[in-house]
Amino acid sequence: MMKPVYISSACAITPQFSFNPAEFLQPLVSSSDGKLFAAEPDYRQYINPVAIRRMSRLMKMGISSGMRALELAGIKQPDAIITGTGLGSMTDMEHFLKDMIRLNEETLNPTYFIQSTYNSVNGWLAMQTKCTGYNQTFVNRGLSLELSLLDAQLLLQEDEDVHNVLVGAFDEMTPDYFIVKGKVDYWKKSIPASKDVLKYSDTPGTIGGEGTAFFVVSDKPENFVCTIAEVQVDLQPDKELIKTMIRELLQRHSMEPTDIDVLVTGMNGDSQWQPFYDEAVSDFPDSTAVAGFKHLTGEYPTAAGFAFWLATQLFSHQEIPQDVLIKGTSTKSIRNILIINHYILNTVSLSLLRK
Amino acid sequence: MEDLKLKLKQQIIDSLNLQGMKPEEIDDNAPLFGEGLGLDSIDSLELMVLLERNYGIKIEDAREGRKVLSSVQSMAEYIQQNQKA
Amino acid sequence: MADRIVVTSFGVFSALGLEKEVQMEALTGSRSGLQHPRYLNTVHAPEFLMGEVPMSDSDLADFLGLPVGENGYTRTTLLALVAMRELLKDVDKSLLADHQFAFINANTVGGMCSVENMYMDFIGEESEGPFTKYIDTLDCAESTQNVASYFGLKPWMATLSTACSSSANAIILGERLIRQGIVQRAICGGCDAMSRFTVNGFLSLKNVDKEPCKPFDQNRSGLNLGEGAGYLMLERESDAIARGAKIIAVLSGYCNSNDAYHPTAPSPDGAGAYRTMNKALRKAGLEPAQIGYINAHGTATINNDAAEGLAIQRLFGANPPLFSSTKPYTGHTLAAAGAIEAIFSIWGMNDGLAYPNLNFRIPMEELEITPVQTLQSGLEIKHVLSNSFGFGGNNVSLIFSKA
Repeated sequence: MMKPVYISSACAITPQFSFNPAEFLQPLVSSSDGKLFAAEPDYRQYINPVAIRRMSRLMKMGISSGMRALELAGIKQPDAIITGTGLGSMTDMEHFLKDMIRLNEETLNPTYFIQSTYNSVNGWLAMQTKCTGYNQTFVNRGLSLELSLLDAQLLLQEDEDVHNVLVGAFDEMTPDYFIVKGKVDYWKKSIPASKDVLKYSDTPGTIGGEGTAFFVVSDKPENFVCTIAEVQVDLQPDKELIKTMIRELLQRHSMEPTDIDVLVTGMNGDSQWQPFYDEAVSDFPDSTAVAGFKHLTGEYPTAAGFAFWLATQLFSHQEIPQDVLIKGTSTKSIRNILIINHYILNTVSLSLLRK
Repeated sequence: MEDLKLKLKQQIIDSLNLQGMKPEEIDDNAPLFGEGLGLDSIDSLELMVLLERNYGIKIEDAREGRKVLSSVQSMAEYIQQNQKA
Repeated sequence: MADRIVVTSFGVFSALGLEKEVQMEALTGSRSGLQHPRYLNTVHAPEFLMGEVPMSDSDLADFLGLPVGENGYTRTTLLALVAMRELLKDVDKSLLADHQFAFINANTVGGMCSVENMYMDFIGEESEGPFTKYIDTLDCAESTQNVASYFGLKPWMATLSTACSSSANAIILGERLIRQGIVQRAICGGCDAMSRFTVNGFLSLKNVDKEPCKPFDQNRSGLNLGEGAGYLMLERESDAIARGAKIIAVLSGYCNSNDAYHPTAPSPDGAGAYRTMNKALRKAGLEPAQIGYINAHGTATINNDAAEGLAIQRLFGANPPLFSSTKPYTGHTLAAAGAIEAIFSIWGMNDGLAYPNLNFRIPMEELEITPVQTLQSGLEIKHVLSNSFGFGGNNVSLIFSKA
């Protein structure tokens, strides 16, 4: 088992009021067309104005949240930068691809090609912070953020010169993406208001979303928000095995289900996966607070970023907003949070966070 | 030539997304790269795309491109010499 | 003494072929695999040479016992499957128990080779058709999951994408997972198939040569693209010895660092490359003079070769180890390059060879050093260094030592 690491700061750009910590999801943002787009901040504060001019939306979002996370942690230069994304900058990819088709492979803009590369956000963050340390980008569907956090945990454990790692994830939704994934039944056929999607978990499909989340992860328990005790990743998760996986994870930390104050679940209103979540939470007392977040963010590969960000806010505020509480009560002090996240392409992660 | 240079400046602003900049702020002879506007190698490639799409002029070699693209004046002269219908 | 991490199997598939003997024959015989692409349907095929694997998608599917035609497998995955099958040939499946080993894969554009031909169907009016089988194949993890499924494996899986250094990074991650006790073994590497997206992307950067590329030559004018897949299996030396496995090489050092200079260009004085190679040497506990051969990143772009050449000169002095780029043989295989070239380096080390840097004629004005020009054999090489430098400033150097 790896040593725990500490989240010093968190910053998320999401469809909700999240970028400014004081806002904390108020008022709730809901949409009626099955899509939740991120609320974008003023990027000029965080990105070199000469560079910003040719950056795509997702790049601006990713770089800003990374720079802001560093700012919140009081760090100018991280020792390493690790990023994760499921699909990278779709806008740039689509632009280059469609131009290529339309112009019959002639006279194409290099900017879109370069920015479609998955590690371009990481590269920009390294340039802006002059960080020449370890840099890595995971592109692994619903586990891209969790693998980034695991890699950070591994790095902090093995390299005594590494103390602060900037870890983040980002994904965007484009109109094309929504159309395309609709053809393989990602989305609800009959679209509810996004804030209500979890109530329609008897029908297949979910809603689409996007967002970024960046964290400064440290090996020192100083000025930290919470501890990452363990992140476990799995593919092709078995409904029958999830309870065992959870029990074994808790046992490794000498914990019982009753020790968990909040379950932050990636329920997304899709009847295909609801039984999986129902099974996952069934070992926990009825009074355990169960929270959801995909009615606030929509579903996307790195939506777990919001879950981690939310967890940091729950630890800081010591209360669960009504808009995220699905069942149970939140009267106890919040000391232990378990994030259970499943993604459409059959990945699951379990992450134990502690105060 | 003056009309061409004015049009070219606007095309440069649009192509490189130099937000908020106006054509009159770009001096004909100011270096586009290094100092002056401070453009970089990716910008020079984008300007070559501009030349090809708007004026039918293809520059194959990136190094040759940098000489042509050193200023608005040098670009305009090159266009006049080489423009295809 | 700390247990060393060793290489015990490999699978490499490139324009030169599949089996080691076949590829070595090309490498030692100065026989390049570059040709005008036969299978990639690009308008640029008549003008540009590429390191295309000489098998169509149908040939590959057939070779793998898969249904030919729109079977949902992208060329990226097909290449990976062939290389992986080669690696697994001599590996007892009992060594690959669920979750006890890692599969770390890497590529740059996932299933784009298929998606780009169907994209207009993806966004078009029709909601059904053969194209729907490919809708979830764009991302990089598509090949990772499909390779694991094809072989009935349930590894700890991860997919990396750091442009040209991707599979070299996969090798580093595998080593670290084993060393920290997360898994017992790791199969690491990468795959990339030719796609019009990639070809046109590099053409838009105007750093592609119509002729066979000339790494480290004064008159070089860019790279040739290629495709392929390469994987190697890593485990602790004590485990390898205990099961009587042949130890092919030791992974004795590495470094991943970022140039932090520009999205696509290296720092011109080679500072990034220097830092990476130097740290890899320190990790391996080696002096520069102990390196017997360097497999350079050597893409033959103006910028890379200048930066890398200066860095080699600065670190190793005016009499550096023998060095060459093997990209004139295979083309730049992008994400697969790190692993493919690591394996080429290991073969060279074990067989006492240094491959010639094809097409080199005129030394670069800014360098005092020149690459290997003719095959060198009968060498005593104890350690080799392999470089992979990618977009986004992601730089990796790997050091392998004789077992």
